[in-house]
Amino acid sequence: MSRTSGDLPPEAWAVALAGLPLMGPARLLALLRRWAPEESWQRVCCEGWLRDRTVVATAGKEPAALAQLWSAAATQVDVAAVWQRHVDFGVGVAALGSPAYPAPLANDIEPPGVLFMSGQPGVISGPRVAIVGTRSATRYGLDLAYELARELAAAGVAVVSGLALGIDGAAHAGALAADTAPPIAVVGSGLDTVYPRRNLSLWREVERRGVVLGEAPLGAPPERWRFPARNRLIATLADVVIVVESRDTGGSMHTVAEAERRGRPVFAAPGPIRSATSVGTNRLLRDGAHVVCDAGDVLVALGLSSALCRSLRDRRPAPAPEDAGVLDAIGWAPISLDRLAARTQQPLGQLALALNRLCAQGWVVERSGWFERVARSEP
Amino acid sequence: MIATVRSATLLGVDGHPVTVEVHVAVGIPSFTLVGLPDTSCREANSRVRAALVSSGLKWPNKRITVNLAPSALRKVGACLDLAIAVGLLVANGDIPAAATDGVGFIGELGLDGTIRPVPGVLSLAGALDCQSIVVGPRAYHEATLLGRHRVLVAHTLAELIDALQGVRPWPDPPPPRREPRPPPEPDLSDVRGQPLARFALEVAAAGGHHLLFVGPPGAGKTMLARRLPGLLPELDDDTALQATRIHSAAGVTLDCAGLVRRPPFRAPHHGASSVSLVGGGQGMIRPGEISMAHAGVLFLDELGEFGPAVLDALRQPLEEGVVRVARAALRVELPARFLLVAAMNPCPCGEGGAPGACRCGSSARARYARRVSGPLLDRLDVRVAICRPDVAQLLGGALEETSATVAARVAAVRALSFERGVRVNADLQGTALDEAAPLTDSATNVLESALRAGRLSGRGVSRVRTVARTIADLQRAARVDAEHVALALNLRTELFASHERVA
Repeated sequence: MSRTSGDLPPEAWAVALAGLPLMGPARLLALLRRWAPEESWQRVCCEGWLRDRTVVATAGKEPAALAQLWSAAATQVDVAAVWQRHVDFGVGVAALGSPAYPAPLANDIEPPGVLFMSGQPGVISGPRVAIVGTRSATRYGLDLAYELARELAAAGVAVVSGLALGIDGAAHAGALAADTAPPIAVVGSGLDTVYPRRNLSLWREVERRGVVLGEAPLGAPPERWRFPARNRLIATLADVVIVVESRDTGGSMHTVAEAERRGRPVFAAPGPIRSATSVGTNRLLRDGAHVVCDAGDVLVALGLSSALCRSLRDRRPAPAPEDAGVLDAIGWAPISLDRLAARTQQPLGQLALALNRLCAQGWVVERSGWFERVARSEP
Repeated sequence: MIATVRSATLLGVDGHPVTVEVHVAVGIPSFTLVGLPDTSCREANSRVRAALVSSGLKWPNKRITVNLAPSALRKVGACLDLAIAVGLLVANGDIPAAATDGVGFIGELGLDGTIRPVPGVLSLAGALDCQSIVVGPRAYHEATLLGRHRVLVAHTLAELIDALQGVRPWPDPPPPRREPRPPPEPDLSDVRGQPLARFALEVAAAGGHHLLFVGPPGAGKTMLARRLPGLLPELDDDTALQATRIHSAAGVTLDCAGLVRRPPFRAPHHGASSVSLVGGGQGMIRPGEISMAHAGVLFLDELGEFGPAVLDALRQPLEEGVVRVARAALRVELPARFLLVAAMNPCPCGEGGAPGACRCGSSARARYARRVSGPLLDRLDVRVAICRPDVAQLLGGALEETSATVAARVAAVRALSFERGVRVNADLQGTALDEAAPLTDSATNVLESALRAGRLSGRGVSRVRTVARTIADLQRAARVDAEHVALALNLRTELFASHERVA
C-alpha cells in the first residue's frame, strides 16, 4: 500500500523515523534539522544520509552498519499504517517546529525531534517543578515527595515527574491530591505501554487531569537507554528540580546533571547521613544545591509567594499518650521491632499493641517487618 | 529336609518378620532363592557359600531351595544372610533343629564368616516376637535397646555353629562402648541482643510453630536456628524409640547412650534432592532428612535456594507429620513430625529488608520471593525479620538468658498443651482452638482490624490464634489478650510484601 506523500502530514514521517531501531533523540534531531521529515525518511530508506557530515557525526563508530540497519527496518514499515495507528489511539503528535510543539521544549538545546502527548498538552504553561528521586525509597522520602508535590500543586505550580516507582509515583500522587495544578509526566516508553504496570491507575489519572509526554512512538518498549533521555526532558520542562531521596548514582543524579546543563536551580532534601537513600541528595547539598525543607523554599525561588501554601489539616486521631512515646522512639528512619524494643525498654507485647494501634490510625506503616513513621494523613 | 528359621526385613523404618525356609534335597546341585528378594538379597547365595566354606564346612552338593515367606513382601538388603546360612545348616543336619527354636537371626555375612551389622537392627528386632535373637557384636547394643529379647552374640559363623551345636558356650557380649560425651548443645546465652528473634525461637519451641528468619548475611540466622533443639524438652520413651528406629534404619551409628533422647537437628544443604529430603529411593525405602528430623528440628538454610519441587514436597508432611512414599509395588509410611526452621535473605543482594536499604529492583526482589511458594510460606507461622545486632549489643557484657531458663518455660507451655489434649499448640484446630484460646474483646478487635486491613486470610486467623495462645501461655495468661494477638501478628509479618502504597 503506498500513498502519495500529500496524504500524510509531516508528523507521520517523523513518527516512522522515531520508531526505527537505535533511533535516539540526537540522531532523530540531526536528521530532522537537516531535512524535512519526509525527505529524511527517503534518505534513511536509500541510505542517502551518509553523505551528510552533521548527521553522520551522530551515528557512532559504524555509520554504514547503522544505515543498513535503518534501511532494512524502513522497508518493513508502512508509514501510513503507523500514522493511522497513532491517529486511532488518539495520541497527540508534535514534530519540532509545529505549532502544537510545547514552547519550553522547543527552545531547549536538545529538543525531541517528535513528541507524543496524551492528555491535555495545553497544561504545559505556568511555573513547573520537577520532583525526582530513587525508586526504592523510604517512607521519609515518599512522604516528603508527596507533601512537597501537594503543597506546590496547591500553590499553582505544575509538578513534573517520571511516573516511576518510589519518589516519582509519590510526587504524582501528591500533585493529584491537591487537585489544583495539573500534573505532568514524562515517560520512557510508548504511551500505550504502561511501565511500570503497578502505576497504571496513577498513569491514567495523570493522563485524565494533566498530560503524559514521551519521545517514543506507540509500541516502544521501556528500553534502558530511553530513561536518561526521559530525564533530560524532565529537567528541561521544569523551572526548578527537586531531588527528594537519591543514591550516589542513578537516574535522579542524571536528571540533576541535565538540569545543571540548562541552568535550572537544583534543590535537594537533606536526609540522615547514614541512610543509603540520602547519599546522593546529601552530596548535592555539599556541592552547593539549595536545601528544600518545605514547599515555601521552592516557591520563593520561583518568585511566588510562599503564602500560597496551605497546609492540610491532619485528620488522624491523636495517638494515646503511651503510644506517643513509641511514636517518638520510632524516629524518621525505618526501624525493626528489635531495635524499637531496645530503644523504648518496653516488653514486646505492649510494643506490638502500640504499633498495631499506630498503624491503624495511620501514624506508622509496616513493610516487611520494618516500621516507618508517616508524616501526613492520607488524602 | 526342610528347616525353618526366623528373621526380619526392613521397609522404610518398619521391620517385617520373615520366615526363611530351606529345602535341601537330592538332585542336580543348585541354589534357588525365591520370595521376592532384591539384588543384594539375592547375592546372599555367594556370601553364604563363601562364609560356610571359610568356617570349615562343606557346601552341600544338593538341590537347595530357599523361600522367604511371606513371599509377596519384598526382601531388601543383606539382613537375611545369617538366617539363610543357619537354615541351610539345619536342613543339612549340621545343627539340630531344636537349637533354632525361638531364636531369630539378624546379620549380614562376610566371605570369611564374620557376622556384620545391618541398618535398622532396632526395627528388625522389634518385628521378631521370639525369645532370643542372634546378632553380630556391633549390633548388640542396638538390639538390646528394646529389652524384649535375650540377645545372643556371635562374632563369626563358626562361633555361632559351635554355640548352636552346644560344643561351646555363647560368647560374652561386647562391653559397653566408651565414647567421648557428645558436645553440649549450643546455648542461647551466646546470642547477643536479638530480643525478637530469641522470642520467636521461644514461641516456636513452646508451641511447635514453624519458623522463618529473614535477614541479611551475618545477622545470626543460623546461629539462632542451631539453638532451637536446646530449647526443646527431652523425647519421651515412645518418641525416642521411634526416632531411634528411624536413625537406625537410615544406617546412622547410634550414640553410645542408646536411644535418641535429645531432639535431633538436621540441616540438609540446599542442593538436596527431593528423595534425599523426603525419603524413598530404589529398593529399600530410606528415610529422608525430614524423617531423620522426626521429633526434632529441620533447618533449611537459604530456603530460596532449594528447588521449588523439593520445597513443595514438604507441604504434605508438614501438614500430616508422616511421609507416604508410594511405589508401584509397595507403600511405606515414614514418620516426619518435625519443627521446620527456615532462613533466607530478604533479596538477591542480601542487604535489603529495611526499606530503601538496597537497590535490588522490585522485579528482582519479587522473583527472589517467588522461589518460596505461597502455600509453604503460609505454613510458617512465625516469620521474623532479623537485622544485624548493634555494636553495643555485640560487645556489651549484658548476660543473656540461658537455654535452660527458656527450656523450662517451654516445658511448662508444652505441659499445658498436653492438658488440652494436643501435642503442641500448633496442632489446635477448630473447636479445640475456640475452647483453648478464648479471645478477650480487645483481642477480637485487634484481629478484626487486621482482617479488615487485608493482612490476614481466614487460615491466617486461626494460625495467629494458635501463636497468640502460645504467647499467652508463655506469660501464664489464661485468656488470650490484645497484646498477645498483636505480638502474634507481628511475628507473622508479610516479609515479601510485593505491593506497597504509592505514596
